[in-house]
Amino acid sequence: MFKLFGNKFLWLLLLIIIIFLALMNSTAAHRDNLTLVEKIVRDAYVPMQSGVSRFMGNLDGWTGTFSDKNRLQQKIKELEAENGKLALENQSLREYKQESMRLRRMLNFEDTSRDRYDLLAAHVIARSPNNWYKCITIDRGSRQGVKKDMPVISPGGLVGLVASVSENSAQVSLITDREMAVGAIIQETRETNGIVEGLGDSNQLRMINIPYYSKIKKSDLIVSSGLSAIYPPGIMIGTVTEVAREPNGLLLSAEIRPAVNFDKLEEVLVVTGYQPETGAEVEEE
Amino acid sequence: MRILVLILLPWLAIFLQSTFFSIYSIKGTIPDLVLVFVTFFALFNRVEKGTAYALFCGLLEDLYMGRFIGLNALSKGLIAYIIGRTQGNVFKENIFVGLFSVLLATVLNSLFLFLLSIVVFEVFHIDTSMLNSILYQAAYNAVVAVPIYIWYYNSAKGGVLKTPGRVK
Repeated sequence: MFKLFGNKFLWLLLLIIIIFLALMNSTAAHRDNLTLVEKIVRDAYVPMQSGVSRFMGNLDGWTGTFSDKNRLQQKIKELEAENGKLALENQSLREYKQESMRLRRMLNFEDTSRDRYDLLAAHVIARSPNNWYKCITIDRGSRQGVKKDMPVISPGGLVGLVASVSENSAQVSLITDREMAVGAIIQETRETNGIVEGLGDSNQLRMINIPYYSKIKKSDLIVSSGLSAIYPPGIMIGTVTEVAREPNGLLLSAEIRPAVNFDKLEEVLVVTGYQPETGAEVEEE
Repeated sequence: MRILVLILLPWLAIFLQSTFFSIYSIKGTIPDLVLVFVTFFALFNRVEKGTAYALFCGLLEDLYMGRFIGLNALSKGLIAYIIGRTQGNVFKENIFVGLFSVLLATVLNSLFLFLLSIVVFEVFHIDTSMLNSILYQAAYNAVVAVPIYIWYYNSAKGGVLKTPGRVK
């Protein structure tokens, strides 16, 4: 027993444990900035990670060259047909948009449609080095105007949120991360304000706090509600795959398949500024 | 040279985990190469050195992640301490000692991270997907540990990682 008390290494270890626990406690709170050492460590990895990211992109290109030519031609035909359909649909939607704006002005409604984003394109250069967090590293940082808490999207839908920024890179927490939560509604009916939370799984999200009387059903599309100050409204989150009643009976929960394939994400768009479009601007268009 | 390699190993491990292995994940799970290096270093060195090296490797990981500084450092430090305390009684020539140590370290690492999260952040959501992830990671770590152990054993006995002045 006395030998144990005389063990200097054990005392030193105990001191280190206390210091690290205090450090963990102080850094666990919401931090606006990384420390200088964290920024230096993060930025030191950026050139190597960008190089690997470019190399993997080129590798995909080379292997793609040798893939089945017929399959690619077939794909081009399908995409051309889809493009034609989308062009017609777009034309029709523009008409609806104009009509909507006219009606809104007639009724003195304030326009809150989402239309004006300032976007910054970024490459995904790395992913989380462990299994506890779901995040990506992008090759744009404070030098390019990226700030903490900026939303990140892709053509598919909502990707996540800028969690921390260094000079030349930023870490984006994906919506699949366990610590993430996004206010959401059903796109078609615009009802049911729920919260979509990450489960730590790349292919699954869960929507909670859905009232028991909600008409939410399988295949419904879920979009951001815009109730939080961070995410703009109307950004696609995913599709409902299953609805279940919570054990308390008062609330429902829904399993959501994300709209974005997080495992294949290569480019993203950081929303550096967001302004709702005004009626006058639509007329100018 | 030995010191340089020891510093570069966790650096390279984090780089590979965030790039190469994220592409070749199994069910979204990637191996923890830093933990594998920490385990092997603790097996081949005295408990004090093993713990200090593990604290350094974990701290590097924490600084890279930019979230909670000390979480990985403490977890890996405790694992190295446990392995370091027992390393004198095991037959290191047997590769299964290395593999068993990695499996044990993976489970302990998850347990320590979970407990430390509860202590510091009060709550931590745990479900079956997380338990599956621990099992997948243990298996993945064991697979990558085989070539690493062979290289590490040879380097520690007569290569670049040989402790200066060691007769054995």
